[in-house]
Amino acid sequence: MIALSRYELSLLFRSYRWIAPAVLYALGVFGLGGARLRHGGGLGPGLAWSALMLVPVEAWLTRSMLTAEPAAARACVAAAGGPRRTQVAALIAPTVVGAAFGLAGVIWQVFRLGVPRSAGTNAIRVGELFSDLGGGLAAGLICLLVGSAIAALLNPPVIRRPATAVLGTTGAVVLALAWNGSPANAAVRSIGYAGQERTWPAGVAMVAALGLVAATWTLSTQVAARRDG
Amino acid sequence: MRLESVGKRYGFTLPWVIRDVSLEIPAGALVRFEGRNGSGKSTVLRVIAGVSEPSRGIVTGRPATGYVPERFPPALPFAARHYLSHIGRVHGLTGTALASAIDACLDRLGGRELAGVPLRHMSKGMSQKVAVAQALLPGTGLLVLDEAWTGLDAEAKAALDEVVAERLAEGGSVVFVDHEPGRLAHLEAERWRLDDAHASRVQTDDRAGGECAGGGPEPEDAR
Repeated sequence: MIALSRYELSLLFRSYRWIAPAVLYALGVFGLGGARLRHGGGLGPGLAWSALMLVPVEAWLTRSMLTAEPAAARACVAAAGGPRRTQVAALIAPTVVGAAFGLAGVIWQVFRLGVPRSAGTNAIRVGELFSDLGGGLAAGLICLLVGSAIAALLNPPVIRRPATAVLGTTGAVVLALAWNGSPANAAVRSIGYAGQERTWPAGVAMVAALGLVAATWTLSTQVAARRDG
Repeated sequence: MRLESVGKRYGFTLPWVIRDVSLEIPAGALVRFEGRNGSGKSTVLRVIAGVSEPSRGIVTGRPATGYVPERFPPALPFAARHYLSHIGRVHGLTGTALASAIDACLDRLGGRELAGVPLRHMSKGMSQKVAVAQALLPGTGLLVLDEAWTGLDAEAKAALDEVVAERLAEGGSVVFVDHEPGRLAHLEAERWRLDDAHASRVQTDDRAGGECAGGGPEPEDAR
């Protein structure tokens, strides 16, 4: 599994298809993302931005990976490693890249917005820092999983027509961010802004995101092994 | 290895490409599939190689497998050695064993100088050598060749013939399709013909092969 993931990761990296999603993430998080946020104003809203940008970015990365490998090249590696395991590796690789983007986003927010400090003594409020970071990382993971699930469901080998795949993926990403029943939306709200109404607790959103990934990855793997060619 | 009542179609509404194929490939066997264009030869090979799962039936006892596809794409962003290292690692090779396996496979086909060449810059023949080399990496086991000789130079074609003979002698099995009726004719092969999605064993005295030679029976001396 590690050798297969390394191969897929190497293919994604060397095809330069990760660059456009990286630029989108950088624009979203370093540029647009909370232009009004201030140093010392709390980490929450910044971390919410870095998490929610992962939904479109991870969907794009996953689509890039799923369309990067010519069918005959996939056939050679599938003969060596099995078609199902190879497909899982092709879904893991962009998730690893997306997770690296997400971590970079969290680190950037901490540098830009500063750690929470006590008003009088200026001491770092360690407890609050850890709870902010924990919430931000959990929300990032939920958004990463939702982005991956969307792309696995709506791209090759499940949906092969490029127009349907791109429109479907874009629509699903917008829905995942805007609809307050989506786990990504719930995760971002739960850390983003004080006083925002929480739809679901983060734990429920996490379980829902994991369930979506399990279902869509299974479908993608099944189709890759059975309906290829 | 065995195929039991194997059927394959590429979608629920699509016709069966192969149907009810049962056969056994013992260790040391050479198996040839024949049939017209579109008769399902490549599909049978993909199922045997484990690239594609059958829609019906089961495949059991597949050993370590190397597969040469019909058209190998040169559009991968790797140099040959880098690509072969990836495939070798998927087969569980590491370190010096991996490096020497890659050298041996490339040397065998007269392609040592290809090691550092990016796949993108390769001609059809060069990338076909890489395609064959990656299939030889797992060593004795199952070798599945879908017109693997096409595009190779004369020396590499002869080398591949030799490799097949050696694999069989070592107890490996080789399954192949080729448009050249005389391919590997010097070795004893079990021949199967695909017709109407069904496979039937061709008796050795019934030499009706040669799908590219006009379709009709062909006398032995015509090759």
